[in-house]
Amino acid sequence: MGNGPGNDAASPRAARIALRLADPRSLRWKVVAAVTLATLTMALGMGVLVHRTTETRSLGIARSNALRELGLEETRFHADRRGGETSGEPPAYYVGNELPDPLLARIAAGTGTGTGPVTWYDDRNPMRIRMWAGQMADGQPLGVSVDMTIDDLSRKALDRHMRYAALATLAVVVPTTLLAAELVLRRLRRVAGTARRIRHGELDARTGGRAGKDEIGEISAAVDHMADALQERLHNEQRFTADVAHELRTPLTGLVTAASLLPESEATDLVQGRVQVLRHLIDDLLEVSRLDTGTEQLEAYPVPLGELVTDSVRRAGVDARVDVTGEPVVRTDPRRLDRIVTNLVVNAHRHGGAPVRVTVQGTRVVVRDNGPGFPAEILEHGPQRFRTGSAERGHGHGLGLTIATGQARVIGARLELANAPDGGAIATLILPEETAAEPTDEG
Amino acid sequence: MPEHAPAPATGKSAAREDRGPEPVHVLLVEDDEVIRRSVGLVLERYGYRVSTAPDGLSGLEAFREGGHDLLILDVMLPHLDGIGLCRRIRETSQAPILMMSARGDSLDVVAGLEAGADDYVVKPVDTTVLVARIRTLLRRADFTADPAAPAAQDNVRAFRDLTVDTLALEVRRDGEPVALTPTELRLLLQFVAAPGVALSRQQLLREVWDYGWEGDSRVVDLSVQRLRKKIGADHIDTVRGHGYRFRR
Repeated sequence: MGNGPGNDAASPRAARIALRLADPRSLRWKVVAAVTLATLTMALGMGVLVHRTTETRSLGIARSNALRELGLEETRFHADRRGGETSGEPPAYYVGNELPDPLLARIAAGTGTGTGPVTWYDDRNPMRIRMWAGQMADGQPLGVSVDMTIDDLSRKALDRHMRYAALATLAVVVPTTLLAAELVLRRLRRVAGTARRIRHGELDARTGGRAGKDEIGEISAAVDHMADALQERLHNEQRFTADVAHELRTPLTGLVTAASLLPESEATDLVQGRVQVLRHLIDDLLEVSRLDTGTEQLEAYPVPLGELVTDSVRRAGVDARVDVTGEPVVRTDPRRLDRIVTNLVVNAHRHGGAPVRVTVQGTRVVVRDNGPGFPAEILEHGPQRFRTGSAERGHGHGLGLTIATGQARVIGARLELANAPDGGAIATLILPEETAAEPTDEG
Repeated sequence: MPEHAPAPATGKSAAREDRGPEPVHVLLVEDDEVIRRSVGLVLERYGYRVSTAPDGLSGLEAFREGGHDLLILDVMLPHLDGIGLCRRIRETSQAPILMMSARGDSLDVVAGLEAGADDYVVKPVDTTVLVARIRTLLRRADFTADPAAPAAQDNVRAFRDLTVDTLALEVRRDGEPVALTPTELRLLLQFVAAPGVALSRQQLLREVWDYGWEGDSRVVDLSVQRLRKKIGADHIDTVRGHGYRFRR
């Protein structure tokens, strides 16, 4: 627990979110990549289309301008040829070798087929782009040119603007997609989180229903229904256990009391012994079913741990040595702690070997025996009701450890089961560190 | 297993040790016939005189005939349940009441204690445990002041509107006598013996109810609540997370 709950709690949360955002495997980035690709493809297609159309149109216009100019200049050329009267302006036409070679070649090719004037787009010099038109006049190639540099520049500007527009679109589309994906992913994550919580035993967890009618809504509803069914089934089973144990109580009470009235004999001992076993079994079953339903309430207050453990071991009536270091005081529910210690010691005594040793140090209670140790099954999966593991661990119904674990959970403690390297089972109960502040509960 | 479980008495003398010449008279109200008869037989074997009733109403009738030193009530009873019966009995009597709960559920236990029961056992109960609980209750009922204490002037103590005579075992509030059950009286005497001292629930459980760690501290809380109602809530402070303190 941190001392500054605002900051300390916020920063790992922020880090977690950042980590989640940065995960390249996230669906989010795949969606973003797809949307980006689609946007870019569309922008490119539109760009090419617009570019082409504009180009074709402006070349067409330039061509007809050049041809018109050629017509005018041809008249002027003929006039120049005939009289030398100059109109003051220098001639705007070019003749013979003044024309660029590609135009000459085209004029030559055009003359052969008799198709009249030809044009040529001259973009050799980017600073001086022209549209040429030319034809044979009086046996000489005659040509004019229309300057298109401005035109070209404006088309380039158009291209540039289209690129900017595409980038701007991306700048809007990507964050929007991220946001939209986030909304979807959040709902998906809620479903996953709910499933996880159910797995960890929180059977009340639900996705929260108001998900809408889409596929995610469907999966949410499916998970909720699954959880309902699961919970219902579990509850039925828990109720059945509780009912069975409860229904057995009244006849058992009569049996216990009546058996105590029997005259002393060997047969009486046998009957009373079995009646006791039956009694403990039903008590334990009820306790397990109460722990299962999770309705147990904690009644915690400061308790001298050493004293309690010593007392519990003494009352359990088994032979065990208790070592207490210091005078630890823990804030806990003494009745539950008493149940745990009793069950652990009785279990160690029944299944393990003497001597049973109990050590109390700080907030830890360690119960150790010298028997064959816990079976692998219990170490792996935790204690299971009615499973005592291997045969050599003797008889017992396996509820003791289940109860100890369950009660430990109620008091917020941890029960660790292990085997000593030199044999023998070690059960360690780790109670929560007592908070320094005065307890705050009441009632 | 409580180590103070008494051995069955030879003959019928055990109860006499507790209560002088007359045997202790126990009223047992229980609807299950086998339990009623076998618990009755067990108690008789320990020297108690036992009357039984099979349901709440006949239990109330039997109680009105009087003369019972202790009552054992089952919680689940036909006609009038054990909790209702307990409440009715408390209207007129301070006799010790032991509830037999079939469930040990918080609800049963709390309801029983709130209705005025002094203690509860959960079925099935060992006869030795049952008898030990009965003995503790009777000892409490039989409570007399420490005879070793000199009849000094400080046997009557005043706490504002409350006076407690630790010898005559008389409690008065504003001069009016207050009727306390043996449990409540015993609890009050524990408090009065150490005014201003915080007593833990565990301490009270041990001193008044004779319980070890296995005891249910709710019996302390609920008895203190009842005691507060009778003597005024401001006399006993709650010490959070620990227990209670009697105001000087």
